[in-house]
Amino acid sequence: MAVLSFTLMPEAAAKVHDLLVCLGKFSDTVAIEARRERFTFTALNSSKSAYAALSLDAKQFFTSYECIPSQGSPDGRFTCSMYTKALLSVFKGRLYDPLGRDGAIDHCEVSVQDRPDQTECRFIIKMICNQGVIKTYKLTYEATEVMHALFDRNVAKNRWSMHAAAMKEYIEYFGTKTEMLDIFAGEDGRAVFKSYTEKITNGKEILKHPLVTAVAVNTSDFEEFNVQMGLHIIISVKDFKAIVVHADTLKTSLKAFYSQPTRPLQFSYGCDGLLCEFTLMTSGDYNAAPTPTPAPQMPSRANSRAQSTANERPDMRGGRLEMPPPVEPASRRSTRRRNPGSRKARSPRSAEPDPDSLFIQPDEDDARWEPVDYNNEEETLGWDASAEHGSVAFPTFRDSGTLSRTETEDNNEAIAPTQRVSQVKGLW
Amino acid sequence: MDDEDEHPVLTAVSNSARQLYHLLRCINFSDKAHVQISEEGLRFSVDEASVMEGSAFLDKSLFTSYTFRATPPQPRQHEDSDEEEEDEASSTPTFQISLPSLLETLQIFGLTDPNNSKPPWARDNSTSTAFSNNVLGMNNMCRISYDSIGAPLSIILTESTISTTCNLTTYEPDFADEIPFDRQSLAFKTIMRGSWLFDAISELASTSPESLSLYARMARGKPFFALSASGPLGSARVEFSQQQQPTPAPPPTNPNHPSAPDAQPNLLETFQLSDPTSTLRSTYKFALIQKAARAMSVATKVSIRSDTQGVLSLQFMIEVDAGAEGAKVSFVDFRFVPLVDEGEEGYEADETILGIEADHDEGTKDEI
Repeated sequence: MAVLSFTLMPEAAAKVHDLLVCLGKFSDTVAIEARRERFTFTALNSSKSAYAALSLDAKQFFTSYECIPSQGSPDGRFTCSMYTKALLSVFKGRLYDPLGRDGAIDHCEVSVQDRPDQTECRFIIKMICNQGVIKTYKLTYEATEVMHALFDRNVAKNRWSMHAAAMKEYIEYFGTKTEMLDIFAGEDGRAVFKSYTEKITNGKEILKHPLVTAVAVNTSDFEEFNVQMGLHIIISVKDFKAIVVHADTLKTSLKAFYSQPTRPLQFSYGCDGLLCEFTLMTSGDYNAAPTPTPAPQMPSRANSRAQSTANERPDMRGGRLEMPPPVEPASRRSTRRRNPGSRKARSPRSAEPDPDSLFIQPDEDDARWEPVDYNNEEETLGWDASAEHGSVAFPTFRDSGTLSRTETEDNNEAIAPTQRVSQVKGLW
Repeated sequence: MDDEDEHPVLTAVSNSARQLYHLLRCINFSDKAHVQISEEGLRFSVDEASVMEGSAFLDKSLFTSYTFRATPPQPRQHEDSDEEEEDEASSTPTFQISLPSLLETLQIFGLTDPNNSKPPWARDNSTSTAFSNNVLGMNNMCRISYDSIGAPLSIILTESTISTTCNLTTYEPDFADEIPFDRQSLAFKTIMRGSWLFDAISELASTSPESLSLYARMARGKPFFALSASGPLGSARVEFSQQQQPTPAPPPTNPNHPSAPDAQPNLLETFQLSDPTSTLRSTYKFALIQKAARAMSVATKVSIRSDTQGVLSLQFMIEVDAGAEGAKVSFVDFRFVPLVDEGEEGYEADETILGIEADHDEGTKDEI
């Protein structure tokens, strides 16, 4: 059975607190993946538009670290998920206090009780305080599979990097209620960070007021700025703020990698054995920017795809962004005519394998994508009935009549269920 | 009762309403508080469903002047001799008042420290004489008086030239029985810093538990005290063990002596177990214990006692600032009725705790 135990010094425990605060802004639950050489916290937000993976290096970050995955586990890892809130109540603030006042700890021991001969499976965290006080927490956890969003930095030609402290000053100007952030590489040697909210009215009632804050930064203020001129890319302000605030606690530089709108963007930073990577969906009019044609990217496309959910665009539902559907090649379009016309209106894209899509293509090798070997397709389908935890890319059944009908109709197109669930969520 | 009361039952003057407020705030978990007036001071007690009670004693030393006049003997002459009991009760008048109102009243001028602040509208003190209020320490006074049984409790607060009189309605006493706690047959007693207990309770609160379990035993000759709680998200336990003490605690055969006196402040100052060979375990409702949290946070020390029936007594020693005279000590008491032991489930948890504790002990032993 899996053995996982490690020890943290107060400084490291305080960093765990900081990262949990950051992950808490993305998701209620945090998934844990422990491997022999590293320990990773991941979080996927509820709209599947942002994915965070924070890896702690086994040698650098921990005082001691031992992870022996169970024999049966296919790829040598221990995974589980827990409530962020529960972990945060253990990894409180002020764990690290140089003066050693109350609340400060001497060290922190974490182990997982996962043996069948013990009555309870628990994630055990032991905070050893200075004066002989020991606080032990036994948290329940849920066994889950952890998936990772893949991101191919070779494709992401647009890069910039800036010290998080400077970036933190800029985000303070963004309005608290704003939703979107447009990162624009101007042609006058400036980058513009514009936070805004689209005005939404319902009849005469104004539901959301437009509020725009634009922060223009000279590109010379960046440590590195290598972005195609005139490129707009739009992400969520809330995510960006959470990332910058956390990066600032590490006093490090924030690096951004992206290719073009509608393709994932990655923020990356880290120090002292902590590596943080956030893969975010982006939006924006990708036709507007004079981007290179997608063709050169095709060879590496398989690697650049994030997991299918990362590309979902929940904002399309709100109608805030007018985003053209991806261009569909004529060959694909012809296949759609087989579908009944009534369905076409509701889900024009669901049956269309889009060559530019990040979704899994039916004709591609799915096996590489699956985190574990799904030899038995039938079992796999029944595996997750809740469909609410992080890994939506698993094939799931829904108790919805329309969906099941869609499935039968799609049979001849042989699209993997992986694709459908995510698309259904995006369109309904 | 009905004749001229030129001699009120109680007149007490304090120069710091703040002190009284801080003490009474510790037991502010119920609407009504019983007030018992005696020669030694005022005793405020509150009660929750007869399973928890808290009381704060305002010693007469907290007041600059304290005059208690037992109820005049006239009632006895008026009434029949069979009212012996009432007479006895009336010698220490008891009544109920609304505790939240009293607390509101006491902080009517805010909670500024009288000794180092004056109201912003106060004039400059250049014209003060030897008899001015500031010099006499009279600019911030709280006068409590209770004229006779049935009369309102009147509180007069004075600050500079402003004085406020509040009359709080008194009610008939409601209960007389307090939770029995047998001081003679203690099962367990320990004294520790109040902030440790507060810290532990707030840690345990994060699991949103129903009940709180208390464990005490001698672990390899060393005192061991733990609080444990479990909720839907998991369980949490805070252990206090005397691991920094290099010399072992007194042998368990000598339980009625406190731990060896130590130069450095011990985590558990006193540790007594009536039966050191076994583990004491009792369970209390967490929500009730949490009501004592305010007292824990301000207390310097807390004495945790449990009698053989499992009734838990928490006695908090609270230092109130008494200006130049140095710190005075007041006590706030809580008593809790235990929950009935749930049997097997409890034993299982018990064993887990002991098993892990034993492992840990081994570890520390090796380190040492």
